[in-house]
This record gives sequence, structure tokens and C-alpha cells, in this order.
Amino acid sequence: MTANRLTRRAALSAGAAAALATVGAPAILHAQTATLKITTWGGKWGEIMKGELLPAFEKEFKCTVSADQAFPFVPKLQASPKSNPVYDVLHTNSNEQWNSLDLGVVEAKLDHKKIPNIADVYPYAISDKIVGVSIFTSAIGLGYRTDKGLKKPTSWKDLADPALAGMRGGYIIPVNSLGQCHLMMLGKIYGKGFTDLDAAYKALEALKPIKLVDFTGQMEKMLLAGEVSMGIIHDSGVLRYEGQNQPVDFAIPSEGVMALEQVLNVTPGSKVKELAYAYIDYMLRPDVQKRLSETVWYSPSNKKVKLDPKYDAKLFNTEAKVAQLIQPDWKWYNARKEEIDTRVTRLLKG
Amino acid sequence: MASLSEAVTLPLPRSARPSVSPMAWLVGPALLLFVIFFVLPFAVMAVLSILSGNPAQNPNVYLTARHYQRFLGDDLYYDALWSTLRIGIVTTLASLLVGYPLAHWMARIKSRLGHALLLMAVIAPMLTGIVVRTFAWMTILQDKGVINTTLIGLGLIEKPLPLMYNEFGTVVALVHIYVPFMVLTLTGVIGRIDERLEQAARNLGASRLRAFLEVTLPLSLPGIFAGSLLVFALSISAYVTPFLMGGTNVLTLPMLIYQQVSSSFNLGFAGALGVILLAVSLVVVIAYNHVLARFSGPEGLT
Amino acid sequence: MSARSIDAGRMAYYVLNGAIITFLLTPIAIVAVFALNPTPYISFPPVGITGRWFAKFFATDDFMISLWLSLRVAVVVLLLSMVIGGACALALARGRLPGARVLTAFFMSPLMLPAILTGLALFQVFQLAELDRPVWGLIVGHTLVAVPYVLRTTLAVLANFDTRVEEAAASLGASPLRVFFEVTLPLIRPGVIAGGIFAFIVSFDQFPISLFLVPPKGETLPVVLFNYMKFDLDGAIAAASMVSILLALSVVLLLERVIGLKAYVKL
Repeated sequence: MTANRLTRRAALSAGAAAALATVGAPAILHAQTATLKITTWGGKWGEIMKGELLPAFEKEFKCTVSADQAFPFVPKLQASPKSNPVYDVLHTNSNEQWNSLDLGVVEAKLDHKKIPNIADVYPYAISDKIVGVSIFTSAIGLGYRTDKGLKKPTSWKDLADPALAGMRGGYIIPVNSLGQCHLMMLGKIYGKGFTDLDAAYKALEALKPIKLVDFTGQMEKMLLAGEVSMGIIHDSGVLRYEGQNQPVDFAIPSEGVMALEQVLNVTPGSKVKELAYAYIDYMLRPDVQKRLSETVWYSPSNKKVKLDPKYDAKLFNTEAKVAQLIQPDWKWYNARKEEIDTRVTRLLKG
Repeated sequence: MASLSEAVTLPLPRSARPSVSPMAWLVGPALLLFVIFFVLPFAVMAVLSILSGNPAQNPNVYLTARHYQRFLGDDLYYDALWSTLRIGIVTTLASLLVGYPLAHWMARIKSRLGHALLLMAVIAPMLTGIVVRTFAWMTILQDKGVINTTLIGLGLIEKPLPLMYNEFGTVVALVHIYVPFMVLTLTGVIGRIDERLEQAARNLGASRLRAFLEVTLPLSLPGIFAGSLLVFALSISAYVTPFLMGGTNVLTLPMLIYQQVSSSFNLGFAGALGVILLAVSLVVVIAYNHVLARFSGPEGLT
Repeated sequence: MSARSIDAGRMAYYVLNGAIITFLLTPIAIVAVFALNPTPYISFPPVGITGRWFAKFFATDDFMISLWLSLRVAVVVLLLSMVIGGACALALARGRLPGARVLTAFFMSPLMLPAILTGLALFQVFQLAELDRPVWGLIVGHTLVAVPYVLRTTLAVLANFDTRVEEAAASLGASPLRVFFEVTLPLIRPGVIAGGIFAFIVSFDQFPISLFLVPPKGETLPVVLFNYMKFDLDGAIAAASMVSILLALSVVLLLERVIGLKAYVKL
């Protein structure tokens, strides 16, 4: 009966191990804390995250967080093995989440049961235009100089004012999602809709000469330095200079603003999925949302967030205001990105 | 005769062959480093460029030439390749013209302090950080920049000169970044040329210019070749500067590669563009080395 | 007549060099202005003087930690590439290797490939080997783009190098090792050192490769600055730049004191 004895011994030792494990659990947990690998932004956002919010999360969930701030995130995720991804949670803009979904490196659908706070978000944050959940949004509209005798722009068409030749600013469309949003908006206001690319190309060509930059921070500086008088920018890029006496302001065109969402999603190969979900839920907590909102002027997704009056007046945090946000159809856009890139590059060159 | 001697020496171990000196072994560490950490990773990229997807993510991939067909099928990409090479050549020539006089001065200056100051002036631009340096150039060249503001203020021009958002601005900023490489390479070589040779030529009645053209310049050719190659290689692979300085008017292969990697996530096409750029530049460099060997004899490898 | 033309030639020489130095230093002056100007963007003409950007730079932990890391990495890269590149140059110029010309071009290739691809390719290989961005990987990446400089500068010196000196030493009875250390090495030193300076600077300023090879909390200064700049493009960046210039210059000057850079110019 060797087999029997063996199994009995196995059972005994398994039991002992289980008992030991229970007793020693906290110690073991402490000894090998799980690591959550995430991406996050730099700047003031990064300061608050690394200085306050992530340490608090680590303490509460007894884990360590490794936060990557070095762009570009998606190529790194793409180059890492699917079963052992370089990130557990991907934080990036909506368009890149759609790219990531195509590449199979993020989940198609989050398990909402694991994110209790998702019950309190505005519908746009989990709409069919979002892969994952949007934790914040900013609004893409027009930034302009208030000291150049310009009227406050009321329409996207104001950017085409001939007086702005060479003094208007846009983005390098292949690399910047604000530029891509603007292109779709051009189709809407000059053509049959957001997908009317022919109208959009024509309208874009009419904007020449235009100064193009590759990231929003640079547009901020061009506006501040007077190198452009009016440019496409997100509200947060202008609002953050409030109280600094800068002659710049943000205008919401009558045709609406485009949403620039900050989206979180989980990677399928993550080995710490529970923690990944806990992190997403944490980022949606009202106090966490308020802290970040008031740091970088992003509009919070959680309806329960109560912002200080200064922020409350400007950010998109009521049902009525949120209704002004237009969410781009990135699935549609990304499917045509290569063709659009080539066309736009050719069009703007020379 | 040649084949006979080859037949005789062939069975001997490599190092014992009279044609290869034991010093050849010194290539080992570099070769090892390059094969493991450059050839191998780059081969992975090259393989990706002929596959339909990334096998690390999706096992169902097949061989395809579509990334290369895409390059061949659109003159936009030819133009980009040509712009890349043109910017590389212009930048190299300009760096040589700007760098030579300075290198000459640095090599000939007598005072130790003067040399240290010159060295600092030459090295400082390299230390500014690529992006900050480019922003500084933007501040100088843009429409509201230092030059245009000054010229308009003086009433010399009415509209800002187009100094930026074009190839001119790109080349100016590239020359600034890469001139130190030219200067330091040249200084080492010019410094080794015996000043007495020039002096002798002048004693024989040659003018200063002629002494320079007939003595110093030919002797500094290895430095010119080495510096030019460095600057050429660097400027054809630059992307931050053309990106920020060129605006919509400049499109180079490295810019396209950057776009493909960072926002189209098309590693296959990025790999294909990389393979094409590297192949074309290797051909240019090997041809250049060939021409150069004519100048400086079979030993000339600079 | 002759005296006047000499003076004119001299004048032209110095005027030309003065103009070149102005060209090299003007952007740095702009950066200095940006670092001292109170506005949070580059403006011309400047509106005042402030030390707040420098204060901010020194008070930010991320900047300080990454600056220190960048310096250490650059020193390791300097040493590694001087040894590897110098040896490689000797082999290529003196080894009578078949295909040396092609090999020389091959060793230049990391400079010709946009570094973002090199970085991505290395990252991918490290990931496949289940290595998550170790520091030595970063050093290897930097060494890869630093070796070509040492190689080039050393080859340039070797081209003017009279092999008869070595032969003479050997015929006088010196052992090959002694010939190497007492004749060859001192002769190639200027090239190796010039290349070493490039290597240090290239590593210190390296950005696209680092972008892929640095782990979170182990970023080098250029990566931290770039991330910072995407969101806050203020004078702290310029202050960082000025500090980098001063620091790296002092390293170079230290090299000059210790090994005597002047020596290589006047061999």
C-alpha cells in the first residue's frame, strides 16, 4: 500500500503547509509584495501621482507600483511578450487604446463588477467610443491671444480667417490626436460629417500657411510667445495658466468641442489583474479625481466629484456641460490612419 | 601565382596566415558587442518587416513583401529618402566649411588657456540636450524670433524672413549640433601635421593660402573624411531636429520611422524603412571608403 | 606689401573664427536667457532675471536622481567604448583583416539607423529574453552608439601613423607587447581620447535609445526632461541644460587636467 501511504503523506504535508501558510500569510504577503506595472503622465500630474497618490495606493493595497512615464507606451507593450506584458494597466489617450485593442494588447471589455466606482461615471466615460474606462477628459477647442485684437472665436471656421495666415497653429496629424480630431471636425463643418475626408482635406489645405507642432505643450508655448495667435488646443493647456496674467484664453466653438479622454485599460496577460482593477477603481475615487482635476485642469469622469468654484466654473462636470463633448470614432479613424497620413503629409508639404 | 599562394596558406590557421596580423584579434570585443546587441536585434526588426504581423503577439503570421511594395509604390517615400540624403550631404559640407577654420585654430593655438576656452566653446553645444537646443534655434529663427524681431525693429525688412519651417532651418540646426564632431575629429589630425612643413613651403616663397592648400589641407584629408562620415551618418538619422525645425515642408525617412513606431504602431513598415535607410547609407559609406582608399592608399581606412 | 597682406589674412582668419564661435554659442546664450527669464516660456527680449528655474531644478528629486545616473552611465560608457573602439580601430587598421573596409562601414551602422529603431529593437530582444530593462542593457545600448566615434577618431589618427616607428622599435629588440605599450598606444591616444569625449557626451545626451531601455524610477536625465517638457515646458528645462553643460564641461576639463588633452593636439 505504498501508494496509499504516499497520498496520505502528501495530504498531511499539504495540510501542514496550508496551516503554515495561513499563519504566516501576512508575513509572506509582506515578503513578496505584488508589483503593479502601469503607465502614467509626467509633469504636474506625475508629481502628484508619484508624490501622493501612488504611495497611498501602495500602502492601502500592500503592493509596489512601477509607473512608467517614458513614452511611447504602446510600442513597448507591443514589443513585450503577450503572456508577460511590460504593463498591467495602460493609461493613454483614447485613440491609442483603440490601436492597442487592434494589436490585442488590451482587454476589449473591462469587468465592471470589479470597478465599483464605475457606477458613478458619466456615460461618455464608458461609451462605445471608449475601450476601457475614461477617468478624465479635456476638451479640444481653440486657444487664442487676447491682445491681438482678435474676436473671441465662436466657430471652428474662425481659424480659417485670412488675417491669421501663418499665425494659426495646428498639429502634425500623423502623430497627434488633436490634429486628427481637428481633421474630423473639418469634415463635419465643411462637409457632410466627421467622416467626410474629402471635405476635410480641402478645408485643411485652405488653412495653409499653418504652423504645426507635435505636442500640446509646444502649442501652449507658441501661443504664450505670440508665435501663433490662434491654435487648436485642449482646455487644460490654456486653463493651467490662469492667474498668471497671460494674454491667452480658451474658446468653445459653437459646433462643439472634441473629447480628449484619459483612458485606463487592463492588459490580457497581466499576472496581477485584481490589483489592476483595484487601481482603476482607485483612480475613479472622488477624492483622487478631485486632487488630479485641480492639479492639471482635467474634467473628472466621476459625477460625485465636487470641485472648488474656480475649477467648477470651467471644467466639464455637469450633465449639461458633458453633453457638449463630441467623442471621435477612433475605430473608424485608425482603420484609415495610414491612408490619411500619406494624404495629409503630401497635402501640407511644399 | 596568387591562387597558388592561397592554396598553400589555406590549411594554416587564420592567425598564422602571413596576411593577417595578430592585432586582428582586437576586433573581437567590438564584433561581439555588435553582433549580439545590434545585428541580432536589428535582424528581429528586419524579419518583422517581411512578416504580416508580430509573432510575439499573434502566432498566425505569414511572409509578405507588402511593406517594401508600399515604399516602392509611392513617390512620397522616394522624396523622403532623397530629402534625407540631401540634408545629410548639405549638412556635412556646411559642417566642414564651418568646422575647418575652427579646428585649425584649435590645433595651432599656443596658449593653454586659449585652447581650453576653445574646447569648451566647441563642446558646449553638444551638451545642451537635443530638444532644448532645438528650442533655442526656434527662438532664434522663428517669425517672432531674435533675428526677425531685430531686423524688423531696425526697419530692414517688413515681413519675417522664412528662416524656419523649411530645409534651411533644419540644416542650420543640424550643422550646429554636428559641427563639434567635425571640429574635434579634425583637430586631432591637423594637430599632428608638422607646422614646420607649412613654414618650409612659405620659406620657399609660397603664399600663406598656397602653403595651406598644398601642404596642410592634403595632410588633413583623413580628418576631413572621418569627420564627414560621422556628420553624414548622424544627420541622415536625425529626427528630432527636422521634426521641430522643418515644419510641414521637410519629410525625412527617420521622421517617417518615428511616426510609424510611435503613432502608427506599424513595426513592420518601420523596420522596412530602417532596412532601406541602412542599406542605402551603407552603400554610400562603402563607396566613400572606396574612393578614399584611392586617395590614401590601401591602408587608408578612415 | 607682404606685411599688409599677412595682416589682412590674419584678420580674416580671426573674424571668420569669431563668427563661427558666435554661431556655436548664440543658442546657448538663448538657453541661458530662458533659464534666467521669469516667464514660463522662451521670450525675446527677456523681461527680468530669476533664480527660480534653477531652484526648481535642484529641488526636484527626479532631476537630481536622473542626473546622477546619467553621469555614472556616461563614465562607464566612456571607459568601455575607449577600450572596445580603440582595440577595434587597431585591428581594422593594422590587422590586415580581409574585408576591413566593409567591417569599418558596418561598425558605423548604429549611427546611421535612427536610434529609435535601435532602442526598440534592443527593448524587444531584452523582453524576449525576459530581462526587464536592466541598467547594463542601457549601458550596452549607449556603448553601441559610442564605439563608432572612438573608432572613427582613432582610425583618423592611425591613417597618418608611420608604421616604421613600430618596425624600428621591434628591430631594436623590443617585444611586441612593449612595442604596443610604448609606441603604438601613446600614438593612438589622441584619437582614443577625442573619441572618449564623444562617447561621454553622446551617452550623457542620449535620448531615443534610453527612451526604450530605462525602467521606471531608473530614467536618465534626457528622458526625465523630455517627459517633463511634454507637460511643463518651462525654464527648469533650460536650467537643467545649463547645469548639464557646466557639469559635463567640468568632466571634460578634468580629463584635460588628468590626461592632458592639449597633449594630443601637439603630439
